[in-house]
Amino acid sequence: MPELPKKKVGLIACSGEEIPEGTITRLAVRQVLESLRPEQTVTICLPLFLAGGEGDRAFARFHPTITVDGCEKRCAARGTEMYSGKPAVSIVVSDSACPNSAALGSARRLSETGKRAVSDVADQIARQVDRLLGLKGKALTDRPVDSSAAREKSRSQQSSCSCGSGIPSQALQVAGREVTLIALPLVFAQFREAGKLPSDTTKAQLMQAVRIYNLIPDEEASAYAGTIMQEYAAFCRGSN
Amino acid sequence: MKEKVLIVPCSGIGKSLGSVAREGAYVVTEELCPERTRLMPLALLVLGDKETQTELSSAGAIAIDGCVRACAAKVVEGAGGTVAHGVQVLDVCRRHPDLKPSGISELDESGHKLVHALAEEVKELVDNMTGEVNHA
Repeated sequence: MPELPKKKVGLIACSGEEIPEGTITRLAVRQVLESLRPEQTVTICLPLFLAGGEGDRAFARFHPTITVDGCEKRCAARGTEMYSGKPAVSIVVSDSACPNSAALGSARRLSETGKRAVSDVADQIARQVDRLLGLKGKALTDRPVDSSAAREKSRSQQSSCSCGSGIPSQALQVAGREVTLIALPLVFAQFREAGKLPSDTTKAQLMQAVRIYNLIPDEEASAYAGTIMQEYAAFCRGSN
Repeated sequence: MKEKVLIVPCSGIGKSLGSVAREGAYVVTEELCPERTRLMPLALLVLGDKETQTELSSAGAIAIDGCVRACAAKVVEGAGGTVAHGVQVLDVCRRHPDLKPSGISELDESGHKLVHALAEEVKELVDNMTGEVNHA
């Protein structure tokens, strides 16, 4: 049976290539993805919010998101909020890891202080992941945050990003204009697999599921429900 | 004084070729053509930073992308810049079939070789843009 994506925490690094703090954001996020919390986290490149499609922009609506910025410009946090959704947590390296930028090394080659800052920020991210997923205690027991073995293991691992695997979406005509609904194809498939035939009960359930991933204004809910139901009926006919 | 050529690598965080794009940009801007190029972080363009956009509008840019989504080239164009050259690391990779890079946080030896192959290609583009073509 098709499944909607499991709840994971989305990590977005500013990746600022000009400053060491930007490098720290990227390496800290990689450390969490690869070794500290590989099962609980996903990532996406920040520029995909502009360059990608609707599925990419749905990222922060799907996943509670932690943005990690190198400086007070907070490009990742502000960009994510602007194009995708408000981050659940915003971390700024220059505030937390090391106030002395010169000690961090260069953007290309971090000093030992810079490398320690990577681990500190990664631990900070991992703790926030646990908090957001309600894993306090459990994840820390299963996989200690401060695990040098886990960090070493990360060097040989390749965890993938969400680029190119955007959340499926579908465009519909609602009240004379085109709207794109995130995850609609997955919701339809899930309902069809569950044997839910088009009916008023199914209509209400469909709307409930669709509203988890999409913002539907109350005043337009009826129009949306009608269109979604028509599309679902067509989907069921097509999959018979 | 001529404007520096802007080198804009993608912010690839999930694939080896994204790391190659970024490292290649560092080699060009710090080692091969430091006087004629400047690295521009993509995140500032995503945010619509005015100062960065102004700089972009007055200079040619070389976008280096690690995957076919071509974020760097698209975001530069979207911010009003001109992509003089869009370089796909994948194309460089195809020209060097012996190199199979792996690693993201730390590239392996093959990755580092690809970085230098990429950087040399970008340097040639910079030479052409700044009129320093080697006809020898």
